[in-house]
Amino acid sequence: MNKIIPALPAASLFARQWPGLLLWALGWVCMLLLDGRLGLSSLAMLLVLTAALAAVWLRLQWSLLLGLMAVLAFNWLFVEPRGTFAIDLQQDAILLLVMLAVSVLVATLMSALRDYALQVERQALAITDLRDFGEVLRDADSALDCLPQLQQLLMDATATDVTILALKEALPAEDDMTQVVLLPATLLPNETDKRTEREQLSGLWHCLRSGHALGPGSGRYQTLVDRYLPLRGRHAHYGAVLLHGNNGVSSESFNSEAMMQAQALCDQLGTALERQHWQQQQELSGQRAKELTLRATLLTAIAHDYRTPLATILGAASTLNEQDDRLNHHQRQQLAQRIVDESTRLRQLTNNILQLARLDAHGVQLQCDWQSAEELVGSVVQRFSQAQRIQLALAPHLPLLWCDALLVSQLLDNLLENACKYSPAASPIQISVRSEARAVLLAVRDAGPGIPEALQQIIFQPFRQGEALALGVDAARRAGVGLGLALCRSVASVHGGELRLHSSPRGTCFEFLLPHKPQPVPPAAIASHSENGN
Amino acid sequence: MSFSVLLVEDDSELRETLQEALQVEGYRVYAAVSVAQATLFINHPPGGVLDLVLLDLGLPDGDGSLLLAQLRRQTALPVLMISTQEAERSKVTLLDAGADDYLVKPFSIGELLARMRVALRHRGIASMAALTRYSAGDVRIDLKAHRVEKAGALVHLTPTEFNLLARLVRNAGQVVTHRQLLSEVWGPEFCDHTHYLRLYMAQLRSKLERNSAAPTLLHTETGVGYRLQEATEQD
Repeated sequence: MNKIIPALPAASLFARQWPGLLLWALGWVCMLLLDGRLGLSSLAMLLVLTAALAAVWLRLQWSLLLGLMAVLAFNWLFVEPRGTFAIDLQQDAILLLVMLAVSVLVATLMSALRDYALQVERQALAITDLRDFGEVLRDADSALDCLPQLQQLLMDATATDVTILALKEALPAEDDMTQVVLLPATLLPNETDKRTEREQLSGLWHCLRSGHALGPGSGRYQTLVDRYLPLRGRHAHYGAVLLHGNNGVSSESFNSEAMMQAQALCDQLGTALERQHWQQQQELSGQRAKELTLRATLLTAIAHDYRTPLATILGAASTLNEQDDRLNHHQRQQLAQRIVDESTRLRQLTNNILQLARLDAHGVQLQCDWQSAEELVGSVVQRFSQAQRIQLALAPHLPLLWCDALLVSQLLDNLLENACKYSPAASPIQISVRSEARAVLLAVRDAGPGIPEALQQIIFQPFRQGEALALGVDAARRAGVGLGLALCRSVASVHGGELRLHSSPRGTCFEFLLPHKPQPVPPAAIASHSENGN
Repeated sequence: MSFSVLLVEDDSELRETLQEALQVEGYRVYAAVSVAQATLFINHPPGGVLDLVLLDLGLPDGDGSLLLAQLRRQTALPVLMISTQEAERSKVTLLDAGADDYLVKPFSIGELLARMRVALRHRGIASMAALTRYSAGDVRIDLKAHRVEKAGALVHLTPTEFNLLARLVRNAGQVVTHRQLLSEVWGPEFCDHTHYLRLYMAQLRSKLERNSAAPTLLHTETGVGYRLQEATEQD
């Protein structure tokens, strides 16, 4: 009768019906007491009233049984001749028949009414469950986080143990347990039978792939013990639910309310998973589109950066080529020097681009070794064209640095180049190295006019030439070196370090922080050697 | 007397440019565009003898490093490798495999000529008695007498410092890799103890350089090794 609430134990059956039984008892006491003071028809009315009231609490079959017994007892006790089931008067017989009919009618009506009320209540509960689950899904970061709630709701709705299998991403070609979430992580512990477990898993996968409910009452694989429900989306299926048939509630139809509610809950999760899936797809394609745009912008920026030195080289070279006889020695020298300078610039640019591409590629292999800050800075400065502008401020007793020497030199190169370009000619550039609490700090400071706030973030990004142009010509020139600074930032980050920028109208300072590493064991003899050495 | 140089380079523009520049400097230049052609020149040098090989890494019919290995099995001919930026990591491998020096494209003719001069001079030294005296700037080194002077004053070096310096003196002007230095001064099992070098080089610089952050004598070849300034006077 009640399809959602499973068969209740006898004690609680009594508990729900005792008011009905009490009413019958009360009714009989009244009738027995009033016998002789009231007429037979009034007593009969009392019985009908009792039957109607008791029917509110009693189940249908109890009402009918008690009603029939009451009419028989009434006949025995009150109808002449008393003490027998015989009826003397015709009107008494009619009275008894009417009593019986009314009792039956009232009991049936009451029962139908109660069933209806119960159904309404269940439906309301089911709707509340669906709505609450919908809210849980909406608030969750990932629909997969809601599996435990679904499991609980399904257990409540179907009173069976529940196992859920849900896809993490797209449906794999083969049944692959790494692509799904299984809740609980293993099939129920009491099912130690490996064969059953395999069957259940393959049932889950089959249900997921077919998108149909399986098991008793579903019209598919009727002989199974368990039932399987798919997590359906609008266009595909995103998982399956196993309702374990091991505790004897397996005979119900799939059209029963409980199953329909279970399927509705499953579909709700399925739809959420589908929505999430599409969202991920959309983000992915958005990201790809963005990458493509970035690549196009990068190529434009690179082409732009190449064009300027190339124009100079071409100009100087073609002058030498075509007007050689009209040039004096000094002019020829100057043109040749210009070609050398601009070629050097192109070399630096090319190195930056190559290195940036290498660092952005996945799985970059750093060639780290112990380096001396003094040597790194020294060799960079030595190669630098305007070395005379550079002031060194190296703290004594610096620890060795664990880094990729080529990359860090390139970082310093770029910072120097940048400082040179954007500070007045012959103004000093300071390189300082000191050890801080957590990192070694390598800083390059210039005495230039500083970098406008609006540009400070943009200059680290290699592709932002357009935005910089909107900020003015000088900004665009700055953005031209963005490639170099982007490389610096990449180098810092692959070393687990950081590149910071402090800029004021009195100058700009780029700081590279390289985290400390435990120092290596020095050669055993070095301490005594250095003592002997001095 | 003019030196014969075998130039192995497959890019025609660069090959012709280098060829011209070297000829202007008085070298006899034979140009090869492939490993096969280079092998032919090495086995049958047109002028009877070769003095130096300039070898590009990427060649159409094989890798220049294979040719280097082959050359090293046959002769002690000086070999200068020409590599590209992408192959920069392999510089150390090339030097350890017996290349005398390397140049990274793009490079200037001045750089090339300087490296060639050093390589040729070392070839001459190799056939004569080993160099025992070195002098550059105000530093004089006499390996036989274990004597190092700076501005006329005796500099005291520990045995390890002296061995390290001596190793660099023997290849003055050329880069000596970390691995070569570590295995020859400390022993082959110390090949990856680069930090030893950092510490000892710092000590050497503090004794021999005026400003150890801007060395004029003991140069750092980032990621590769060290190079002692070419001697200014030959004893």
